[in-house]
Amino acid sequence: MNDIITPIIMGIMLGGLYALIALGLSLLFGVMRLINLAHGDFVVLGSYLAYGIATYLGLDPILSLIIIVPVMFGLGFLIQKYIMSRAFAVSSDTPLIIAFGISLIIQNANQIAWTPLSRGLNTGYSHASFFLGSLQFPVIYLLDLIAGIVVMLLLREFLTRTYLGRAITAASQDKRAAELMGINAKRVYGYAFAIAMAFAGIGGVFLGMTFPFTPTSGISFLTIAFGTVIIGGLGSMWGTFLGGIILGLVQTLGGYFFGPASQMLIVYVIVLVILAIRPQGLFGR
Amino acid sequence: MISKIKNDFLIPATLVFIILALLPLIGAPRSWVLYVFLFFIYLAMANMWNLLAGYSGLISLCQPAFLGLAGYTMAIGTWVGVPWWIGIIGGAIIAALFALLISGAVFRLSGIYFAIGTLVVPEAIRMVFYLWKPVGGAMHGAGAGYMIKGIEGVSQHAIFWLAAVVGIGSVYLMRFIIKSKLGLGLASIRDNQRTAASIGVNVFRVKLYTFLISAFVTGVAGAIYYLNQGYIEPSATFNVRWTMVMLLATVIGGIRTEQGPIIGTIIVVILYFALARYAGYSFLIQGIILIVIMLLSPQGIMGIIKRLFSRKGVKN
Amino acid sequence: MTDQVLLKISNIEVFHGTFQALWNLSLEVRRGEMLALIGANTSGKTTLMDTVSGLLHPAKGIMEFNGYDITCLDPYQIVELGITQVPEGRRIFPEMTVFDNLMIGSYCSCARKNRILNLGRVYELFPRLKERKKQVAKTLSGGEQQMLAIGRGLMADPKLMLIDEMSLGLAPIVIDEIFKALKKIQERGITILFVEQNVKRTLEEADRAYILENGRVALSGTSAELCEKDQVKKAYFGIDECAI
Ligand SMILES: Nc1ncnc2c1ncn2[C@@H]1O[C@H](COP(=O)(O)OP(=O)(O)OP(=O)(O)O)[C@@H](O)[C@H]1O
Ligand SMILES: [Mg+2]
Repeated sequence: MNDIITPIIMGIMLGGLYALIALGLSLLFGVMRLINLAHGDFVVLGSYLAYGIATYLGLDPILSLIIIVPVMFGLGFLIQKYIMSRAFAVSSDTPLIIAFGISLIIQNANQIAWTPLSRGLNTGYSHASFFLGSLQFPVIYLLDLIAGIVVMLLLREFLTRTYLGRAITAASQDKRAAELMGINAKRVYGYAFAIAMAFAGIGGVFLGMTFPFTPTSGISFLTIAFGTVIIGGLGSMWGTFLGGIILGLVQTLGGYFFGPASQMLIVYVIVLVILAIRPQGLFGR
Repeated sequence: MISKIKNDFLIPATLVFIILALLPLIGAPRSWVLYVFLFFIYLAMANMWNLLAGYSGLISLCQPAFLGLAGYTMAIGTWVGVPWWIGIIGGAIIAALFALLISGAVFRLSGIYFAIGTLVVPEAIRMVFYLWKPVGGAMHGAGAGYMIKGIEGVSQHAIFWLAAVVGIGSVYLMRFIIKSKLGLGLASIRDNQRTAASIGVNVFRVKLYTFLISAFVTGVAGAIYYLNQGYIEPSATFNVRWTMVMLLATVIGGIRTEQGPIIGTIIVVILYFALARYAGYSFLIQGIILIVIMLLSPQGIMGIIKRLFSRKGVKN
Repeated sequence: MTDQVLLKISNIEVFHGTFQALWNLSLEVRRGEMLALIGANTSGKTTLMDTVSGLLHPAKGIMEFNGYDITCLDPYQIVELGITQVPEGRRIFPEMTVFDNLMIGSYCSCARKNRILNLGRVYELFPRLKERKKQVAKTLSGGEQQMLAIGRGLMADPKLMLIDEMSLGLAPIVIDEIFKALKKIQERGITILFVEQNVKRTLEEADRAYILENGRVALSGTSAELCEKDQVKKAYFGIDECAI
């Protein structure tokens, strides 16, 4: 009986991480109706950047965020400015196809830089654990949860308290009206993409400390992020958090009942089933 | 001028294809024959992707599921005594049935949701074949890998010609579909889905038919590919690289045109040939080409040709 | 004399794709006036407003505002120069609070420094918005939403305010209230160009008016002049009396 408590608590903690990697996807969808097929690969890129920084500079992955966040932010701004903004002008399918192209480019670039081997971010506290009663849990999972909550709160403050944040919210609710308020939609989109990318980077760092990754892991992270968003309903931050927790639980309980090898398969199937029966999300309108 | 090209391209194209199909007989180098074989296989798949993405508005990213399921059906069939040629047909039918199975779910999704829903499908199947070996002994390594049994008597030439028939057939199939009632329905949906529905076009059924046809033909092409390869395993089979081939060929040539996939497939195969040494950079290069084409000439080479002709027309 | 003209539109032609909505249209807005735009549905009033706001660009013709050529500017640049639009259907941001909606109104850099001042003025003009500043905008009544939309426009510190379909779906009492507010706004030196379906009421309130027909200016003049025209009487009043 005590056995099942462990996967449940781990699933909840994992939920913070999943919400974290879903935030960027959700933001971009909310602001420009783009489901960024490359999001998972952006996450993996974040993991690899941390890996590279740890390897060459010996910096702790969490500290390396000081470098990773601005790099990803800048990259996101450039991608939006020079590629995506043009794609939106071509046709509604173009951004999707281009995101697919970007996804494969990043995958390949990661492979060239780091070989196809599976990597992980190891730190002094990688194998540390803490106790809840008599149950033992990895410290990393706790960090995942904390990171998810912190980033979500920061995003919330940003969106409601700053002009840029309000502009992003406004543009996602009514682009035309936002433009009439003097909001430069192109710039707002640029920042939104940049922020989404920075979040992907943060997510990548924590994911990389939690699970091993390869250049082709992007698709499973994309599926997790997308599933989280779908379950939680788009646009709702607490929904996203809940979605993350549900998906985290699906994974850990799936692993508990069917063995760790099939836990990702169960996640995929659940995402597909939800997509099929309630594409607007479990908690969506 | 443009309509003339449109009407006439089938005959010269067929002639070129037949010449290509005769290559093995005149003792062309093996690698050439292999590339022409790939051309025919990719051509059929690109045509089917164009049918979905170009003509039906379905950006399908689950084509690897269709070709993989057909390939696996054929391969497993040879392990239980089913002849390979029945396996190809049976595999294609399984692919179409699978398309039917998921259609109810994925068709509820519009646009971008459809794309992401279909993207997950081959991933999920790949995992299934990582975990499950339908026949034969225990797993060796990662995933269910199978040799194709009992094809020692089948000549390489026969497989090559099979591919040629499917490749050329797919071009004629596209023409047939576009000229048929189904094609009319597609055209009206493309113009405006709601109007189409209001004038009595059953949008769901029209899309379903194209989805099934596409799954079937992609399945046939996939099974022939694995017949030629002689073995099948999950990670290379349910792999986005297939989607990339179809997408790239269609986009380079010109999406939503009949000639586009033909031109595009030729270029893609030449590209693979030229880049064979840089296989490690393949996605990088293809991705960049894809993005550049989408941004600079969204209608691909056919778009450029049309523009050139219309400009000439204005001058005269 | 030209100094009196705040916005000068000369011979513009505007298309929606291939459909031409405005034909060789010229129009002048004078400083400090309250100018009305009248016309049947589809006559191109919204198209004209969107063109001034930079959401659409004319294929031909020139628009000058306060001495600047604004023909090719983007919406955000136009707001920066001092033109704000209260769009048809209000288009407030439904999920944001009243306060956040107003704050978004002061997004442009020219308006940010005065936002506290302007906020006070808006609350003075529409005390109801102050009472409801924490409320989510979509839960406001139609009239309150229109007040919010106008208030949001004022937050941009405009020189010229465009108001489309001002009183659509509002009760007469609310319309009176809004017209009163417009007078106060005008007194503060803000020029107003508004679209309103009720022609009689419009001519009572406005200083001048333009009448559009099929994307062209059919008539223009002061309200009193227009009231005298037989065309106007026949088309819009149906009887031979005019309010003024
Ligand atoms: N996005 C668009 N695409 C195509 N045609 C448009 C578009 N917007 C407006 N039109 C056309 O332009 C013409 C003018 O429309 P507009 O909205 O400017 O009229 P209006 O005078 O504001 O009408 P209303 O009183 O109904 O608001 C109409 O014939 C309309 O059909
Ligand atoms: Mg209008």
